[in-house]
Amino acid sequence: MPDDIILSMRKIRKTFPGVLALDDVDFDLRRAEVHVLLGENGAGKSTLVKILSGAHRKAGGEVHLFGERIEIESPRQAQQLGIGIIYQELNLVPSLTAAENMFLGREKTTSLGLIDRKALRSSAQSILADLGLRLDYDRPVRDFGIAQQQMIEVAKALSLDAKILVMDEPTSALSETEIRQLFGTIRRLKAKGVAIIYISHRLEEIFEIGDRVTVLRDGKCVGTKNVAETSKSELVRMMVNRELKEQYPRQRPPMGEEVLRVQNLCRRGTLKNISFALRRGEILGIAGLMGSGRTELARALFGVDRIESGEIYVREKLQKITSPRSAIDLRIGFLTEDRKSQGLVLTLSVKENITLASLDALSRLGFINFRSEAREAGSYVKDLRIKTPGLGQRVLYLSGGNQQKVVLSKWLCSKSDIFIFDEPTRGIDVGSKVEIYQLMNRLTAEGVGIIMISSELPEILGMSDRIIVMRRNEIVGEMPAEQATQEKVMHYALGAS
Amino acid sequence: MVNKDILLHNSRQFGTLIGLMIVTIVFWILSPYFLTVSNVMNIAEQTSINALIAVGMTFVIITAGIDLSVGSIVAVSGVVMAGALQGGLSDALGILVGLLIGVTCGLTNGLLISYGRLPPFIATLGMMSVARGAALFYTEGRPISGFSQGFRFLATGELAGIPAPVILMVVVYVIAHVVLKRTKLGRYTYAIGGNEEAANLSGVNTKMIKTIVYGISGLLSALAAVVLTARLNSAQPIAGMMYELDAIAAVVIGGTSLMGGEGKISGTLIGAFIMGILRNGLNLLGLSSFTQQIIIGSVIILAVLIDMGLRKDRRFTQAKGIIT
Amino acid sequence: MRRLLALSLMLVSIFFLEHCRRTEVVSKPTIAVVMKTLNNPFFIDMQEGAEAEAKALGVDLIVQAAEREVDVEKQMQIVENLIQRKVSAICIAPSGSKEIVPAILKANVAKIPVLAIDTRVDRNALAEAGATVLTFIGSDNKDGGRIAGEYIASRLGGKGNVAILEGIPGHETGDARLSGFHEALDRYKEIRIVASQTANWERDQGFNVFRNILQAHPEVRAVFACNDMMALGAVEAISSTRKKNKLIVVGFDAVKDSRAAILNGEMHASIAQHPEEMGRLAVEYAYKAINGQSIPPEIPVRIELITRETLVTK
Repeated sequence: MPDDIILSMRKIRKTFPGVLALDDVDFDLRRAEVHVLLGENGAGKSTLVKILSGAHRKAGGEVHLFGERIEIESPRQAQQLGIGIIYQELNLVPSLTAAENMFLGREKTTSLGLIDRKALRSSAQSILADLGLRLDYDRPVRDFGIAQQQMIEVAKALSLDAKILVMDEPTSALSETEIRQLFGTIRRLKAKGVAIIYISHRLEEIFEIGDRVTVLRDGKCVGTKNVAETSKSELVRMMVNRELKEQYPRQRPPMGEEVLRVQNLCRRGTLKNISFALRRGEILGIAGLMGSGRTELARALFGVDRIESGEIYVREKLQKITSPRSAIDLRIGFLTEDRKSQGLVLTLSVKENITLASLDALSRLGFINFRSEAREAGSYVKDLRIKTPGLGQRVLYLSGGNQQKVVLSKWLCSKSDIFIFDEPTRGIDVGSKVEIYQLMNRLTAEGVGIIMISSELPEILGMSDRIIVMRRNEIVGEMPAEQATQEKVMHYALGAS
Repeated sequence: MVNKDILLHNSRQFGTLIGLMIVTIVFWILSPYFLTVSNVMNIAEQTSINALIAVGMTFVIITAGIDLSVGSIVAVSGVVMAGALQGGLSDALGILVGLLIGVTCGLTNGLLISYGRLPPFIATLGMMSVARGAALFYTEGRPISGFSQGFRFLATGELAGIPAPVILMVVVYVIAHVVLKRTKLGRYTYAIGGNEEAANLSGVNTKMIKTIVYGISGLLSALAAVVLTARLNSAQPIAGMMYELDAIAAVVIGGTSLMGGEGKISGTLIGAFIMGILRNGLNLLGLSSFTQQIIIGSVIILAVLIDMGLRKDRRFTQAKGIIT
Repeated sequence: MRRLLALSLMLVSIFFLEHCRRTEVVSKPTIAVVMKTLNNPFFIDMQEGAEAEAKALGVDLIVQAAEREVDVEKQMQIVENLIQRKVSAICIAPSGSKEIVPAILKANVAKIPVLAIDTRVDRNALAEAGATVLTFIGSDNKDGGRIAGEYIASRLGGKGNVAILEGIPGHETGDARLSGFHEALDRYKEIRIVASQTANWERDQGFNVFRNILQAHPEVRAVFACNDMMALGAVEAISSTRKKNKLIVVGFDAVKDSRAAILNGEMHASIAQHPEEMGRLAVEYAYKAINGQSIPPEIPVRIELITRETLVTK
């Protein structure tokens, strides 16, 4: 191994049930470099890094650290090997002080067995000073803002003598000045000989702080480049250039009149001036990276979150959507991102879930008409071909695809003609995926308007009639499907143009 | 195709029934006084008060909540009703006053929990104290005794040989069963307990339903107070202490999960009877009250352990606590 | 639905089997003694007296009690269950003088003689319900209260501030003791009762309540607790203050613990009720009633003032 390569990962494989997460990935890290890991959601970045930190076990491949072959079997071992990882959800105990957090589990004790507070404080002080940080290490950590908490995490990793530091999306919650500070800290770390693996898709940052960048796509390593020798467009191309093997069965019906229009929707922190329109028969795809505000938009349209300003016109009439009930009464249906925790009541049966939003129509004087209920639910089970031993089967036991069909039936039962699909085919097998797309076709042929939020670019390109791209809570691009390419969409999503 | 999971699910429901049978057979063997018509009626009458409270508790627990204030609501609605009756109100109006007090306490709990977002444990713990204090304050610590024949008929009367409280209990159970199984309110109750967020996103007015459910619990506690007061011919401010534990025990033994989302009224009835039989049987055998406490406590623990054991086989992905 | 059917079927078949089995159990007469609670040595003494007499007479004895003195409904359930058990007589120390009447009525209907011990059953409630109690075996609690009052008055020299710890409100024993105490002290114009609160007969409540009273009225010089449990609680409250051994503490019942406290000066007096005597008399007269003999409507049990002097001379 060349002298300054401290970490080498070769032909790393990792599978999860039904999914090949990492396919012969190569990755190496030089001493004191900032190496960026870039890729779409689900490309394999976190999986790779979790293998390094001991949270996952690899299924194949080799890892060499400082020239020696190692097997990382636990997070504790990774820590001892000098690998520190700072997750997006920070790992601090809010009520303890910075110093206490830094040495959690490794407190130095006095001869009497009590915690040596003085030693704790002086160690904390020196490490923080090294990083150029001035923090009151005696205050509880919850008093600090996110940026400073992150710094404490960095200090904690350093106190563990980390030679390799992994930072997962470190700047997502930081302000401009805080990002500057972070970069300053990173440079200091480099000066001390620490190597940093930096996961991010903020292209500007990559070009500012990165030395090299490795692009992952669909679990494979596409290539590694020196930052100085590449460009944003090249990186984007590397991220999304894939054969669109799947044929998406989109059949576009004639477009009808406008069924939904939103203007200047604003909500502090989550939505900035969102405006768009949806027509009958249309599938409007909303693309964007995680955190761009797409789900927040859906929640605002469905009355879950309050809008601070802006108007929503449903079927050309101005409406105030203040609760899910009012959205449902306006015949809007929302298939949430996580169907198990938000879309279904797992303890209830197929029939009960399908009718949950429509009980008013199926009841008289408060009593549910069981016969009508069974009839309605039965018709959807038949129509959508939901595989279940019976209407009374608990939804918990259905497969992912069938569960999604149940959710869809719920909104069909409530007679929705505006649907919001948030990641409609996530976690669903290929066969069921196709069925869902065909259902979407049928719905639009009947005049339904669909908003489809998806992180899968092929799906966005394959099924949408029109595409909107969101980034950082605003709409940054809009185009008809014919004019869209993966690169173009990703460009907008990353803010690369 | 019979799903193994469905089989396991149903065996839990059968488990309580089997428990009832076991307990009945055990005491039948041990005591010749146990399985007589008059003793069975006796047990039913004694169980009725706890059974009434347990119905309300069932609703609450199905929503994944808890109501610790039922005993205190029994006390405060009992004494206010007694005060009203002695103050000259007719029997019917007096009872109505008592029921109103119970409903009010219950709805207050519900509002604190739904709109005030207090954890049910905390809200009802507070009400437990407040209602008890109110009862003691209202009566200056002394019981209020002496009511009309008509009023006391609710406890002492019989129809076709069946004591009035038993008839009341059966009527209430039938109504509760119908409500839970066949009405929107019942369906929404299960939905909220199973997954409140999903229910909300399906357009269910979860706040209103939860408030109503706690109101029901308060109402039934007040109804229990009516029976208790008629039975003793006296309303005591210290009545009902620890009644919440007996009610929760009946619900839990009956197979309703403390995590919410499932449970049956019939299960609660069986659970209440199992406890009533235990108390009666142990009395008949002449065992000291200390022994009784140990046995009853052990039965409750056993019932919950068995319930949890059967539960491990299912891939239940949602977990909730009562405190959170 | 299916399950209810199964259950009813099972019950019916068992009833049938039961009918075939011999239901008449020939046995010795069984006397039941139902007390307020077993958490009080007073009632344990009573139990011992009853057991001794039952052994001597050759009768079966069942002793039952609720867990706490406050639980009147539990007592009623015990009586109902004893009726099912077909006991020959019931001796009861009611937790609620009025509230126990419905249960007594049930016993009357079942033709089981009922004797009241230690605490009277409310006469008016009995009359109104048409129920009867054969006799009352117990002390004159009012007299006892009076004796306690006189003792405190003499120890205080006729003036000073006094506090009272009451029993459960509405309990006839507590009310009678209180009334006797007040009657005695009424004659002393310079004795003031500065606080009178209930500690529900319980020791730890006595501790808490009296501690609060001490805080609010540091000038208190004597306390009368309507039973020994509360008095002992008060003693513990005092022992952690500077007033140790300076306050006059008088209890009621003269149980073992309070006698020990009187001997070492922490308590000063108690009214002995002789509970074991009550228990013995209860079984003796219950037996007579079972055999059809008539018994007097009141059977007084002597009381006496117990102080350090009386204990030492014994």
